[in-house]
Amino acid sequence: MEVVIASSSDDAGIGCWDLRTGAEKLRYKTCASPPHGLVSVGGRFLASSQLREPSASSGSVLFWSWSKPQPEVKSFPAEPIKPLAANSLGTYIVGGGSSGNIYLWEVATGRLLKKWKAHLRGVTCLVFSEDDSLLISGSEDGCIRVWSLFRIFDDVQSQQASHLYEHSITEHSLPVTDIVTGYGGCNAILVSASKDRTCKVWSLSEGRLLRNIVFPSEIDVIALDPGEHVFYAGSRDGNIYIVALHAESKPSKVFGMHIIGLLSDHSKPVTCLAYSKEGNSLLSGSEDGMVKVWDLKTQNIIRMFRHAKGPVNNILIVKPQSSPNLSKRHGSLLPPPLEKYANSSDKETDNKAVIALQATISSTPEPFYYSSQLINDHIKELQQQGSAAAEIDVERLKLDCKRSMQMLQQWKKMYDNLHEFCVDELLDGHQVPGSEGNSA
Amino acid sequence: MVRSKAPSKKQQKRGIDFKKIKRKLGRKLPPPQNATNTEIKSKAIVLPEQSVAAEKTGLAVSRKGLTLKELLQQTSHHNSKVRRDALMGIKDLFVKHPAELKSHLYVVIGKLRERISDDDKLVREALYQLFKSVIFPGCNQDYEGPLISLMMAYIFCAMTNFSIEVRLMAFRFFDLVVQYYPGCFFSYAEKVLQNYEDILRQNKFYVEDKGKLKNALAGLVHCLSLLTSNKQEREKAIAEKKVLHAYELDAPTGVSISIDRLKELVQVLIGCFQEFIPLFNSTTELDAQSFHCILSILQSIDISMEFLICSILKETPQSKFLQVPDPTMLDQTFSSVLLKKLLGVFPLNPKYHLFGKEDDRFFVLNILISKTFLHLREWINPPASLFENYLEFIVNALLGKICSDTISGRAIWEKHLPSLLPFIPELVLEVAGDWQPRLLEAFTQTFKLCSPDSSLKLSCLSAVEKMLIPRGDTLDLDANDPVVVDYQISWIRELPILLILLGDKHPTSSQVVLRLILKVGQFACSISSRAIEYENIQYSIMEFFGTFQGGNICYGPFTKLPRDCQELSLSCVYYFSNINLDLLRSIASCFLCPELEPFLFFRSIEVLQSAYKAGHIQISDQLSFLITLVTRFNVDMESFRTFQTFKSLTCIVFSCLESMGDGSLILQMVEELILEQILLNLPIVNACAMLRVICKLDSKPTILSEKSIINLSNFLPAYLINVAQVSISFVYIDPDFCLTE
Repeated sequence: MEVVIASSSDDAGIGCWDLRTGAEKLRYKTCASPPHGLVSVGGRFLASSQLREPSASSGSVLFWSWSKPQPEVKSFPAEPIKPLAANSLGTYIVGGGSSGNIYLWEVATGRLLKKWKAHLRGVTCLVFSEDDSLLISGSEDGCIRVWSLFRIFDDVQSQQASHLYEHSITEHSLPVTDIVTGYGGCNAILVSASKDRTCKVWSLSEGRLLRNIVFPSEIDVIALDPGEHVFYAGSRDGNIYIVALHAESKPSKVFGMHIIGLLSDHSKPVTCLAYSKEGNSLLSGSEDGMVKVWDLKTQNIIRMFRHAKGPVNNILIVKPQSSPNLSKRHGSLLPPPLEKYANSSDKETDNKAVIALQATISSTPEPFYYSSQLINDHIKELQQQGSAAAEIDVERLKLDCKRSMQMLQQWKKMYDNLHEFCVDELLDGHQVPGSEGNSA
Repeated sequence: MVRSKAPSKKQQKRGIDFKKIKRKLGRKLPPPQNATNTEIKSKAIVLPEQSVAAEKTGLAVSRKGLTLKELLQQTSHHNSKVRRDALMGIKDLFVKHPAELKSHLYVVIGKLRERISDDDKLVREALYQLFKSVIFPGCNQDYEGPLISLMMAYIFCAMTNFSIEVRLMAFRFFDLVVQYYPGCFFSYAEKVLQNYEDILRQNKFYVEDKGKLKNALAGLVHCLSLLTSNKQEREKAIAEKKVLHAYELDAPTGVSISIDRLKELVQVLIGCFQEFIPLFNSTTELDAQSFHCILSILQSIDISMEFLICSILKETPQSKFLQVPDPTMLDQTFSSVLLKKLLGVFPLNPKYHLFGKEDDRFFVLNILISKTFLHLREWINPPASLFENYLEFIVNALLGKICSDTISGRAIWEKHLPSLLPFIPELVLEVAGDWQPRLLEAFTQTFKLCSPDSSLKLSCLSAVEKMLIPRGDTLDLDANDPVVVDYQISWIRELPILLILLGDKHPTSSQVVLRLILKVGQFACSISSRAIEYENIQYSIMEFFGTFQGGNICYGPFTKLPRDCQELSLSCVYYFSNINLDLLRSIASCFLCPELEPFLFFRSIEVLQSAYKAGHIQISDQLSFLITLVTRFNVDMESFRTFQTFKSLTCIVFSCLESMGDGSLILQMVEELILEQILLNLPIVNACAMLRVICKLDSKPTILSEKSIINLSNFLPAYLINVAQVSISFVYIDPDFCLTE
């Protein structure tokens, strides 16, 4: 079941609709999110950064579980966080601060694993690459940087090298508004949109400009077709431009190079887009508070959701999952809040990742990653038998074991008896015919 | 035939005894009966070579009436004059009939290539001219492969010819081929360089024949320069590509030259250079030809060393992480030769000072040696005294002390100095002691003094960019050093002045300056002194947009520059963290310029609106900017287009006002301003737009104050009458407005 989720910069909550039936579901309350500030963490729960006064000393990130409308976990990072991103499994949350710092938290413990100065001005968007190994950030000064998570945690190399990033792209002259990445490992492309009225296509591995597309208006948001034939660009003039990537395009005089068509119905600027593989449809949100679903084949609107009076600025399409039972110990389904500062005592401990065992065989074959710290905590807890539940479990297991042993003894006894009986029978049976023969 | 007749007559006479035969004068003797008929009869005689009367209609012929086939045959004539004439004829023919060339290209080349190693000088020259002026320009890229392989075999043959003349000419031919098909150099590079090496080893001739050597060396310089330029061109080609992921050959097209080959070549070149050293000490003037020879030698050394270092770096991937190159990577004996024989003789100075022109020539040579030195500096560990020699020279060169004061000296200074400037940022970081301020001072002098549109200014700008924003994207970490910061600030201050000086005549230079200003804005940290400097730019950049002088608007270069410059300058405006009212006023004044495209109105409103959203403009300033646009826009009632522009302008202003917040609050803020403007007797169209603004923002019931309603009611009757009077169909009054009234 795919669910459409939309949030707004007004305090209008998070709207939630079933994409197929159009039925409105639970509305999550108290959320005023900045653009790119809403994220579903591994499909387990929703997280959103909150708009704050520019003078606010700390930011705010809220978590909602699928079942409750109130935010359950509130965390207050050291500075206002604008864009948020989570990797596809929901192990990490990354947030971009308004001073240009990027924060990386581990979801399961809420620990701030790393904080680094990424840009000179505020971060405007954050995206993980398809395989979650690279993080791409865009900033208000028009700079795009590609970070390798591996290198960020490699302290030795980061001290030696003059910079942490893989690529730094400074072609945009005005703030970057959106970034999407394509598929295909080292051949993946990166599309960036900026307020300078252009979208640029880059090769992710080389950081090389592949294409520059000039639009008639500012582009606030882009969405990529999964086949990478085209991408969709939502602009300030209310149109959604269809731009050829691998598709054939004739130079069009109406819109400009590479722009092959447009979807036009919003009267207000288009602020967010999302592509749904189910039914090949595109969802667009605009400043008039409407979310429209476009059938891309016919280019018609097939459904509309009314979210709020204010501008919609985030749309997600998610398949909610029930959260795995690892966090039951906290009494809530959600992990603890994100820490404000990196814990100094953590510095000695290494940030190794540990592959956790799968809960069930039927679940996805991808392993879960946790930091070794988390696993160590679990082990320590078990060793100290600090948890009553674990103690009971052990007791029960011991009892079980004892009972099994007794059973085993019993079975063995029975088996021995049976065996003896059979041997006797055979021997007796042999003797009887033999004796019979002899007698005959 | 005549002779054979006579003896037969005599024999007849003998047979007849003195019989006198009377003959009448004027009558022909009948032929003797036994005479042999010597007439030869044939049906046709075919003389293909000399037939003047051959059938040539329909065939392309040269001025002398010869066909291509005939001409080609004549090119292998034993007489050199005929050969030359034939080549001229071919040229003539192809000029007249360009289609002939395409259809017979391979035949022609196949025949002509034999002449590359021709003995006669004039024939070779004619052939060269033929290739240069007709054949290569005439055939396009499709023929490249076969054509080159046809030529190359003979060129290489000629390069190893016994006669030096032929060999030198062969290099010229090769150079010609490379000029038209640069790609082919890489497939033959190894062999060609080997040949160059061989010829340069024969040092007997260069003292005698410098003119020839000059040509050959110029070819070498051209070939070597392909090695370094190749990369950038390829990148440019990629950016213009149509498909995103094109199939690319994995094999590198560029580097097929081994490092050893280049080293050998450099050593030979140094040997050549040594030959010329005695000239500096002689009393005579350094003549033009030897000067050009030395120049080419030095250029070749410089380029090959640059390439050598690049390829060494490429071969050792771990060097990417090393900040300082390892001197051991360059062969020790090789570097000591370089140091002793080339870099050590610096600076070159005439022993007997003669006059100014000499100075400039030596200046050019010294610049080249310094360039090579700066390339190699980290690889050869030069002694400190030598390094200081170079620094001294660089500082003096920057200050312009070395060149003569004449106009030509000035021109040479501006032309050759840019090659040193890319090294300045590096040097500034590394030199110790008082050299740093001296260098910075000298550089700043150069930067300020050179003429705004020269190439020197451009390379100064790129050096400034490197020093302000090292590594292209981060702040200068060295900014704590007060000396450096002072100079940095002075460069930043220079930028807007330069921009205004450039005016609208040099769009490319203006673009570079604007891009630099933009980068400074993008990467200026919010608290650093440079950020403050950037803020100050907005006062000096106002002139760029437009200024008010005694009530008249004086448009700056902004209105006349091409669109990308205009967009860049608007982007610069975005990054001022606190845009003041004066700057907004001067931008608004630009809109009054009738030449400005409507696109720019919309673009600048868009940029300023985003600047407002980012908190760079105060709300009252932004409001008054928007209102000013609507009230002051000149609508030419005659032209429908300006009216359309005005209409969309008001639409955009509406949407901006709406997105700024609650309508009634906004109205409270602008109410007074609007009414003040309306009562100023605006043109009807503008007044209408103002009324529409009020309608749009106002709610029902009206929140307008008593006073403004009274004012409006005074104004409206006259306005309505005016509207009726003009009776323009497209001006209408919102019925809603009357209701609110």
